Amino acid sequence: MADSAPNASLQARHVAKSFVSGRLRSTVLHDLSLDINPGELTLISGPSGCGKSTLLAILSGLQRPDQGQVMALGEELSRLDQHALERFRLRHTGFVFQGFNLFPALNALEQVELPLSYLGLTPAEARRRATASLEEVGMGPRMQLRPSELSGGEKQRVAIARALAKEPGLLFADEPTSALDAANGQIVIDILHRIARSHGTTVLCVSHDPRLVGHADRVLSMEDGRILSDHVAAVPAPPAPPFSASMESSA
Amino acid sequence: MVALARKTLVYEWRRFLPAILAVCFAGLLQLLQAALVLGIFGSASVYITGSSAQLWVGYPGTQSVNLGRPIDEGVEMRLRMDPDVVRVEPFRWVDADWRGPKDTGGVSVFVSGIDPRPDGMMFAQALPPRLRALLNEPDAVIVDRADLENLGVSVGDTAAINGHRVRVVGVSNGLRALGGVNVVSSLDTARELDVDPQDSGRVTYFVASVRDPARSREVARRLSGAASFGSYAVWTKQEFARRSQMYWILDTGAGAGVLFLAGIVFLVGAVITSQTLVAAVVGSVREYATLNALGVGVGALRKVVLEQAFWVGALGLVGSATMGMLLLALARSRSVPVALYPMPTILCLGLTMLLAMVSGLAAMRSLRRADPASLLR
Repeated sequence: MADSAPNASLQARHVAKSFVSGRLRSTVLHDLSLDINPGELTLISGPSGCGKSTLLAILSGLQRPDQGQVMALGEELSRLDQHALERFRLRHTGFVFQGFNLFPALNALEQVELPLSYLGLTPAEARRRATASLEEVGMGPRMQLRPSELSGGEKQRVAIARALAKEPGLLFADEPTSALDAANGQIVIDILHRIARSHGTTVLCVSHDPRLVGHADRVLSMEDGRILSDHVAAVPAPPAPPFSASMESSA
Repeated sequence: MVALARKTLVYEWRRFLPAILAVCFAGLLQLLQAALVLGIFGSASVYITGSSAQLWVGYPGTQSVNLGRPIDEGVEMRLRMDPDVVRVEPFRWVDADWRGPKDTGGVSVFVSGIDPRPDGMMFAQALPPRLRALLNEPDAVIVDRADLENLGVSVGDTAAINGHRVRVVGVSNGLRALGGVNVVSSLDTARELDVDPQDSGRVTYFVASVRDPARSREVARRLSGAASFGSYAVWTKQEFARRSQMYWILDTGAGAGVLFLAGIVFLVGAVITSQTLVAAVVGSVREYATLNALGVGVGALRKVVLEQAFWVGALGLVGSATMGMLLLALARSRSVPVALYPMPTILCLGLTMLLAMVSGLAAMRSLRRADPASLLR
């Protein structure tokens, strides 16, 4: 957590956050600083309640810290008002959640097109990007299906495509594999990894799922609101394979 | 643009059905209530709306057609002198007491003395020439089919009005009165029946038609100006009909009743509709929160909710209009007095759409729960 790392796309400086419930004040993050680099899949792992989700919320601009600053893509988030923060998120960030949060009424293509339409893209351009994203996550053949017709892994891939289609500089994933079986969890983490590599996206993933550790470029272990260890994979994680038949069949 | 509001409405129609039905029934109730009130109180002005005259001349300040006082015969001359007036006809109103052949006791009747000529203006729409001709016979009267039972007579029977013998020569349709029973006779017969010494042979109204009906308001204003022919006032057909209806609506307290019921219907409809819409928003709150996380502004999400409310309102209104038309047709076929004009219809449907939109605004508030930070755990 040095002050260097000139190419860091996401920087936290002395970030602290606490919550008050009743008369009890509990500190979730203690004076935390870190740099996260583009083109990498960074994993924050730790037991539940360690503050990793709060850290994600603050780094992604969904919550404001009590103290400290967050610089995202050179922009200081605390200086942005609610509206500007929404604009920033619209242009630069993608999210993947544990629950897939897809609209039941929309098919996969429409799920992905929906946020794009707010970016001011022409319908044709939105359609092109949505199709490309869905194909990238291997959902090309199933993009006319609604969530009720998709498996959990497929739904999460649609959710990733929805985040990816915006071509964000920052992609945040909160427990993206927790609701999935091993095979689908594997597919999802591979996709996230490949997005970091091929698009140069900063991918920040929060999970307590130990299966993910081996797939991350860098692992930050958290406990009690502090980062305990910062482990960069000695052997660079193997490049994600291109979409293969094995992935289709395992879905 | 992905039509999220509409697609959700179609896909989750069961969820929205209570709201659509609430809007539908609220609209239907407003429509039927308006139609009934206008139908019932429309009969207060049947003398005016059922006639072809464009101008009504009566005692100044008369609030309703049944409250007329005798006016000076000289007024007729004043009317005939006006170049725009093409025809003038007297109309005599007599409040009278009816005694039928059967044991019905006394019935309060309104005798309308009209000119029975085939092209007479009074009741030109309500009485066909064949019926009018029957009134030429002395002491002949026509009553409405719906009143035969109240009067205890059938066609051909004799009865007494103000102690004077009359004979029922025919029955009309659509001449029901408010607060009494209409009896139509010739002007001469009505004069015989009028026992009030104050009236002393004077008529209650003159009705007139003008060369260009579009200018009747202007002619009415001009004729009202002169005072040298005794005191009288001139109204257009629409003014006088409205005056009479409003008098009855306000006099009976029906106006307040209508507003009260409209308020209740609005409130109940809005509660059901907003609760349903709130449930729909809450059901999708995680998806909305995800959109907000992806940068779709709260304003845009509110628009989606409001659009849903609009479509719920539109579908409900289609239901109200369809059912309303069917029920009004049924009511007409059963001689239930109903009447609906474009303005009240638009008002009722507009009020119902307002209900849907107000419900949408209420449901919008539950979008506050769509906090993307709550999606992280």
